[in-house]
Amino acid sequence: MTALLQADALQKSFRSRGRVVHAVQDVSLTVSAGEALGIVGESGCGKTTTARMLLRLEEPSAGSIRFDGADITHLHGAALLPFRARAQLVFQNPFDALNPRFSIRQSLTEPLRNFRVPKSEHADRIDSAMTRVRLLPAAAWLDRHPHELSGGQLQRVVLARALIAGPKLIVADEPVSMLDVSVRAGILNVLREARDSLGLAAIYISHDLALIRYVCERTMVMYLGRVVEEGPTTELIAAPAHPYTRALVAAVPVARVDQNRAPLPIRGSLSEAGPPGGCAFRARCPNAMSRCETEAPPLRRLTATRRVACHLEGGPS
Amino acid sequence: MSLLSVRDLQVTYASRAGAVRAVDGMDLDIPFGSITGLVGESGCGKSTLGRALMGVLPESGRISRGAVLFEGLDIVRLSRAAQRELRWRRMAFVPQTAMNALDPVQRLRAQMFEVLQQRGGLSRAEATARAAELFTMVGLDPARLSDYPHQFSGGMRQRASIALALALSPALVIADEPVTALDVIVQRQVLDVLRDLQARLNLAMILVTHDMAVVAYACDRVAVMYAGRIVESGPVAEVLERPLHPYTMGLSHAFPDVHGGEDALVPIEGAPPSLLHPPEGCRFAARCPFAVARCRIEQPLLTARAPDHLVACWRAEEAGELRRLAAKPGTWSPA
Repeated sequence: MTALLQADALQKSFRSRGRVVHAVQDVSLTVSAGEALGIVGESGCGKTTTARMLLRLEEPSAGSIRFDGADITHLHGAALLPFRARAQLVFQNPFDALNPRFSIRQSLTEPLRNFRVPKSEHADRIDSAMTRVRLLPAAAWLDRHPHELSGGQLQRVVLARALIAGPKLIVADEPVSMLDVSVRAGILNVLREARDSLGLAAIYISHDLALIRYVCERTMVMYLGRVVEEGPTTELIAAPAHPYTRALVAAVPVARVDQNRAPLPIRGSLSEAGPPGGCAFRARCPNAMSRCETEAPPLRRLTATRRVACHLEGGPS
Repeated sequence: MSLLSVRDLQVTYASRAGAVRAVDGMDLDIPFGSITGLVGESGCGKSTLGRALMGVLPESGRISRGAVLFEGLDIVRLSRAAQRELRWRRMAFVPQTAMNALDPVQRLRAQMFEVLQQRGGLSRAEATARAAELFTMVGLDPARLSDYPHQFSGGMRQRASIALALALSPALVIADEPVTALDVIVQRQVLDVLRDLQARLNLAMILVTHDMAVVAYACDRVAVMYAGRIVESGPVAEVLERPLHPYTMGLSHAFPDVHGGEDALVPIEGAPPSLLHPPEGCRFAARCPFAVARCRIEQPLLTARAPDHLVACWRAEEAGELRRLAAKPGTWSPA
């Protein structure tokens, strides 16, 4: 399978108070048609910056991005327009993603115009997008305005707008975190179905491993700007190889009585930079060895489908 | 006897469109020395309840009916001065974002001293010792008392805000979504602090949250709210394993489990009713797959169906059968 999106050694550095901060370092990934990749990590781990680079909302400081065979790393302005039509972002907050003065119809027409879709196709496109997100009958919704819709309904419109121009890739940054629990499943199911029936590639950014598990077959874990582990989601949750992934999995509460209340296998708290040299996680790692002080572990192959950046062979036992 | 008993409480907000009864006929008992999770969706009235208890409702809100018995006193009927005396000393509040509890331009020590000396009447020496003790209790280094809030991470700020709430040794702490804004590891650490303090100080605590998993992790008891009313309450294990209300049953299939199977999630279709014009019967009836004619006409009252397990549902006697049906995804798809 050839990759739809391929990123190599992405890096993003900012200047802050006179020093250089590496928000993202050496992130490589591929996503194929019909595949969903999750990127998890705590705030500040670089997951959102990575997503913004992949969508070319930010230009990488180093590295390259190929989409559908073409190098888009340094494209600008009009040259990016065809890419924009095929790679769409789903916003986190449906309450401010739509223009409050626009009717739902106007909000859906806007991207069609921007991407020069012939006017004769607009009605059909709007209809099928509304069907896909299950706001039916479409006629009952199209003339309403955002303030007349609930959060779940708004997020369905946001999805319809992302899907309407026929993208090949969608990137969703915490797509349900602003929504009520009872309606989250509806949005996640729409996203799953769109992937299955349209063969969409998807990247989900979240701190919620339970959500990632539901929608992504493959997951990448980031810590302080770097990928620390990658693999099939179910394997990664069942047998985390990196000590940070272990802590992340252990910290997720479940709605059951018999849950794990053992102390978290992690120390301290996230600092902006991590200790210089060696492994960035070592100060919080319960398994740190002297080698971790001096040598940053490279992301290496663990099995055919899993990669981990840890000196411990096969991860801690 | 309970530490806190809420009886038929109604909290009304004035709006241009009319009176919105955010809490409407609510009954709740908080026992001594336990953590109760108050769980529900946005707009269900869970935060309003916490704010009403603490006397920090916004300008447009007021308690329009009912009683709140706390340590034997109906605090709704107390004078403002008597209410103020009670709040912080006997019951304290931890808001969702610690920045709302902490003053950004004051060092944390000064904020602690303000509560300890002015409200608590401690001497400077006593306040110094107590502030250090409180910081240690929530897992913060007392040396950081000279920091400003912005020098703290989100989790540290939430710990400081908990320390502030505990300053005058209240009997009840109301925490409004205290971990919602935090990352999952920090979330777990803050929940552990709350659990540990509750046990050590034998506090009663109300943990307001939208997340049933947080309730399952941290709470002994749970009260499920829907559209301004409690629909079910009881010990956490009992409510999770044998829910009696269809809304609670629906919630348990509506969100993913990190160790869960491959089953598709099932949303509860629709949205809660407007509290401007709430429906006459059960407020969940419009979204309930099990609603019968009576549910649309007559409001069910919160009634004990098992020891210590209360539910407001006309079909509670059939709960076993409803649970079986609720586990089938087809049950919840729109007709």
